[in-house]
Amino acid sequence: MNDAKMNPVEAMPDPSRRKFLNTAALAGLAGAGMSVGLSACNKETAPAPAAAPAAAPAAAPAAAHAASGLKLHMAPGELDTYYGIWSGGHSGECRVLGLPSGREIKRVPTFNIDCMSGWGITNESKKVIGTRADGQLKYKTGDTHHIHGSYTDGTYDGKYFWVNDKIHGRLGRIRGDVFECDAITEIPNIQGFHGIFSDKRDPVDKAINHTTRVFCGNEFHIPQPNDGRDLDDPTKYFCLFTCVDAETMEVRWQCKVDGNMDLVATSYDGRFAAANQYNTEGGARYEDMMSAEMDACVFFDVARIEKAIKDGKSFTVGTSKVPVVDGTKAANPDPKTALTAYVPVPKNPHGVNASPDGKYMICSGKLSPTCTVIEVAKVADFLDGKLDDIRKSVVAEVEVGLGPLHTTYDGRGNAFTTLFLDSQIVKWNIDAAIKFHNGDKAAQYVVDRIDVHYQPGHISADMGETKEASGQFLAVGCKFSKDRFLPVGPMHPENEQLIDIRGEKMVLLADHPVHPEPHDFIIVKRELIKTRQVGVLDAHPLAIKDAKESGVFRDGNKVTVRIASQAPAYSLREFELKVGDEVTLILTNLDKVEDLSHGFAIPKYDINFVVNPLETKSVTFKADKPGVFWCYCTHFCHALHLEMRTRMLVRP
Amino acid sequence: MKPLSALRGIAMAALLAATTLLPAQVSAQSAYEANLPPEINTSPALCDYVPCKEVLPGATSFSERKGQPPYVEGYAEENGQRKLVGYVVLSTDVTDTPAYSGKPVITLIGLTPQGNFAGIKILKHSEPILLLGIPESALVKFNNQYLGKFVGANIEIGRSRPEEEIIGLDAISGATVTVIAQNQVMMMSGAAVGRQVGILEKTVRPQARFVDSGRKLDWATMVKEGVVQRLTVMPEQVGLERGKDPFIDLWYGYLNHPEVGRAIMGETGWRDLMARIKEGEHALFVIRTAGRESFKGSGFVRGGIYDRVQLRQGQDVFTFRDLDYYNLYGISAPGAPSFTESAIFIVRSSSFSGAFPWKFIFLGNRIDRETGARTFINFDREYWLPDAYIEGGRPEVKKPDAPWVRVWKTRALEIVLFSALLVAVAVVYAKRDELTRRSTRKNKWPVNAFKYSAWIISIGFVGFGLLAQPSITQVLTWFHSLLFKWEWELFLTDPFIFLFWIFIIVTVFVWGRGLFCGWLCPFGSLSELLYKVGGAIGLKRFQFALPMKWHNRLKWVKYAVFFGLLAVSMFSMGLAEKLAEVEPFKTTFLVGLFNRSWPYTLFAAGLLGLSIFMERPFCKYLCPLGASLAMPSTFRWFGLRRKQECDSCKACAVGCGSLAIDEKGRIDHRECMLCLDCMVLYTDDHACPPLAQERKRRTKDGLPLTPIGKDGYYIPIKPVAPAAPRA
Repeated sequence: MNDAKMNPVEAMPDPSRRKFLNTAALAGLAGAGMSVGLSACNKETAPAPAAAPAAAPAAAPAAAHAASGLKLHMAPGELDTYYGIWSGGHSGECRVLGLPSGREIKRVPTFNIDCMSGWGITNESKKVIGTRADGQLKYKTGDTHHIHGSYTDGTYDGKYFWVNDKIHGRLGRIRGDVFECDAITEIPNIQGFHGIFSDKRDPVDKAINHTTRVFCGNEFHIPQPNDGRDLDDPTKYFCLFTCVDAETMEVRWQCKVDGNMDLVATSYDGRFAAANQYNTEGGARYEDMMSAEMDACVFFDVARIEKAIKDGKSFTVGTSKVPVVDGTKAANPDPKTALTAYVPVPKNPHGVNASPDGKYMICSGKLSPTCTVIEVAKVADFLDGKLDDIRKSVVAEVEVGLGPLHTTYDGRGNAFTTLFLDSQIVKWNIDAAIKFHNGDKAAQYVVDRIDVHYQPGHISADMGETKEASGQFLAVGCKFSKDRFLPVGPMHPENEQLIDIRGEKMVLLADHPVHPEPHDFIIVKRELIKTRQVGVLDAHPLAIKDAKESGVFRDGNKVTVRIASQAPAYSLREFELKVGDEVTLILTNLDKVEDLSHGFAIPKYDINFVVNPLETKSVTFKADKPGVFWCYCTHFCHALHLEMRTRMLVRP
Repeated sequence: MKPLSALRGIAMAALLAATTLLPAQVSAQSAYEANLPPEINTSPALCDYVPCKEVLPGATSFSERKGQPPYVEGYAEENGQRKLVGYVVLSTDVTDTPAYSGKPVITLIGLTPQGNFAGIKILKHSEPILLLGIPESALVKFNNQYLGKFVGANIEIGRSRPEEEIIGLDAISGATVTVIAQNQVMMMSGAAVGRQVGILEKTVRPQARFVDSGRKLDWATMVKEGVVQRLTVMPEQVGLERGKDPFIDLWYGYLNHPEVGRAIMGETGWRDLMARIKEGEHALFVIRTAGRESFKGSGFVRGGIYDRVQLRQGQDVFTFRDLDYYNLYGISAPGAPSFTESAIFIVRSSSFSGAFPWKFIFLGNRIDRETGARTFINFDREYWLPDAYIEGGRPEVKKPDAPWVRVWKTRALEIVLFSALLVAVAVVYAKRDELTRRSTRKNKWPVNAFKYSAWIISIGFVGFGLLAQPSITQVLTWFHSLLFKWEWELFLTDPFIFLFWIFIIVTVFVWGRGLFCGWLCPFGSLSELLYKVGGAIGLKRFQFALPMKWHNRLKWVKYAVFFGLLAVSMFSMGLAEKLAEVEPFKTTFLVGLFNRSWPYTLFAAGLLGLSIFMERPFCKYLCPLGASLAMPSTFRWFGLRRKQECDSCKACAVGCGSLAIDEKGRIDHRECMLCLDCMVLYTDDHACPPLAQERKRRTKDGLPLTPIGKDGYYIPIKPVAPAAPRA
């Protein structure tokens, strides 16, 4: 791979930092082996701060904005044209933004605990998150990385969004009609749950042209089962690729693979899921993980895997009942029956992204300055016995810059790849890259480059991962913001930048500080999202359908308090408990007016939650403190909001 | 002495009238322009602000406003159980049907659970006629006729017609417009509640089957074919300063039709929308293309109801709440205007049908610039999918007659008779030459037979029968209508007055005001008839006229009265209406001399009494209506004839009861009642001095008495007469 030369376009007339960095990096790359990535990394971190002032970052956005006609500022009453669905990283949440303005509209607590909404406090949310035998939450932390939506006919249908929790190996689902998490599934026998992707059509039943499965990549290899065995023998560790049912959220199957997986993508025809792999070496230490020149992008033939399970060719791991098939190279020597195909990709690749035309999967090299273009049809040919060498499915492998991580598309044949080390986005043309790869050295595949601030991770253009990629603008999640915002101490926000991609040249539009640390995001046409305005009274089995049904119902020391709220009052002016009671308090918000949510806080009992119109929420707690406790509405509801309270009387 | 005392009488009467008409008379109980708390229009707890218990006897507690249009439920406690005892509805929640004043009579209506009217209370009205003249109790009495009657019954003003299942109500004499409006308000309000609570069956309209030929409509085509409609409100229509730019400029259309829906929302957007709404629900879009006013407002944030837009189909009003609103992100039809506010509203009722016409209504507030008072005002525009868009074309729609049409139908006979009277009088007058030639000073019966008949018919049939006494208040109302909002319906509701005014306007410009004033005005006729009768029964020696000197001064008083009223009306129509009691018409015809408080009776009786001794004292000196008609009479087309000798001859002037002929023999057509006395003289060769002289000359000279020509002279014997007098 080191034979590949930088595209001539790369030799820009600009004599500044860029050229210096590239030459420096090239020099680094010239050296072989494991030191490559590290040396580049070292060189990058050193010159970057020094070079930054020269780029005049403060003036740049203003000038850039002027050069773009894209309307960023929404006048009062004007609505954004796109939804941005954002992961929240180790804040454990997800977020909904309005784009292109960048305004945050909603935070969707998912794996975290949110005292605004009561997520993690109400019985309903605890049930979704999962509890231990004592009723306490099983996990209070989460790390959301990748978020993807459900598809119909190759584009978003707005029904669901899925997000992973890397820490505890859980998949969460967010309902597109309410933007609330409605299901969380813990995936057995994995650690470091990284990439996810929903399928775009059914791999088995061609009549089903919408999402039915979600695929999950597993990054950290562990002993299987991880019950204390083989701690000292990493060669026995392995990873499982997981398929979760989109509707039931149950784990359908798992597939044992060689190596570690990070990002996941699915093909538009439904046949394949693909996961980029690093550490095919199976190393337990980073130098071991980077030793091989080539890692892989593993393709899963979903239909064959499900057939194998049907045919009983599966096993289980530990106490898990999920069928597991063996997708290792050793177990799949014959391509015509293989469940998996390992496409060799250079050096610890990171992102894999399907192009909107459905033809290609593009893997970003990370430690290699290249992007690898895999033609999906050729992978199919290989598995169907029509292609002798899987490496031949790579139709292009071109240098794009240092530290390529993720790629998005404008729907006009161009790819936009983040270059972490270069702190740039490179726009390159896929067809030109293929020509260049095929020997046409005159083909200039790099179209444009733009500096971003600083160190970009994920990138996503409007509808970029659907066949309706509309190529208006892209968002890029920069991992460092340094000097881009007013300083607030050592902890900096991330910098989400917005770039106009309508023209040949990219134009930087805006910086947005974000609470750490969103990873991935998708940008969805607003027409595709259809939300509920209020809840459905009957949706909760314990709903108080009439204020007359409220009251305190006692069964020994088990007490149920049923309350309805209707601005500006709770249906009970006071309710009585005894110390020692085990109390379940159910609150239904009978207000039918949109946006008329009520809160319910119980002082000293560490309880607060919000109930939206026609919704019902409940909390369970032990009445362990005698006294008067003024429960009050925490969510502004009415001119008499302050008066909206009720007394909880706990008798000694 | 006599003339002076008469004058004093007039002055006294006027003074009396003025003093007793002071607003102090308005009792505390009156609902006239009552101050209502603004919350009654918006607060959910309606009954905290209005006396619901008074209209729903037995109820002790009430629900909040519910339903669309809103009403409240009334409950009684029975053995600790809450029991529904009926419903209460505020009329303006249902309809703003304007009464005579142009403003609604705000009425609180109670209904039993079975749907019978249980109680009615007028909270506020602006009817001047009810302030003076007719006691407010008359309207209360009128309303009481509804008690116990079913909301679904056919209740109309007029006779009961059991064969048509129509229950008649007695109108209030002189306030027909008010009661017709009130009836509409009562029935609409009752029905609005009845339909919601299941007392009345909901109107079911067959749903439309749309023609979908897959056309891709652009905006211009949709505008041309009427499937998008525009409603523009200009600032002056809401009491703001007149301006070029609209207050609000809205376009709207019906989205359930596939061609329209796809054109507006695009294929996918439209399919999504149709999937989102249920069978029998309907979507329409609204965009604002100009204007600063918002059609959404902010009311829906608190109450959940959009209070600025609604639909009406037949009697059904459809309002929208927050959950009936969806975002409209854009219009895909090529050529669509850009917009600054948009909405998709959903009609969640299968009573609505896209096959039938409906109205989009923008509810505004009109600000009275003087007082700052705000009144509700609606702007609407009809929408009906064209034939080609509906399978089988537009269905036949039987629109219930407008109230004014019903009035015209039920009173058709009287209308025909009245019209015949007006035409007959006009024809008779057009043929006046034939009558005057047949008359002489001694025998005026050929003219008088017609005139006296007209008088008697106008007094009995027109005045006491039809109550069709024109009044200065109508002139004032028109002035205001011209300035603000002209509503034909309001004027058409009283067909006799309407026809009368057409007659008046035409004849004033053709012949002058005298034909109405002198021949057909019921009060004028009564007044002069009394004078004639007085003369005939031997009171002639007490009869008198003011000296010309005084007459020429006092005749201007009526103009002052007119302009005074007009000026007052600019500030307060109510006060002007009160001051218009200077006309004794209401007392004489509409209410009756003996049905009013004594100052009014005294005033009217005084004027009529004076009329026995003095020809038309009211008409000559006080009548503001006469004054308003006198001014345009200056421009009448045909005047009465004069001869050269009239300059010096005083024969006609002496006999002119109207004192309309001045010392130079000129006729003041502003004062002339077209009694035709002078025209009788004009061709009377025994009474007209120049003609009598010529007759005598010819007789003496043995010359033949040729017929009298149009110029009022014998036709000259020699055709070539250089000294022929000019006409």
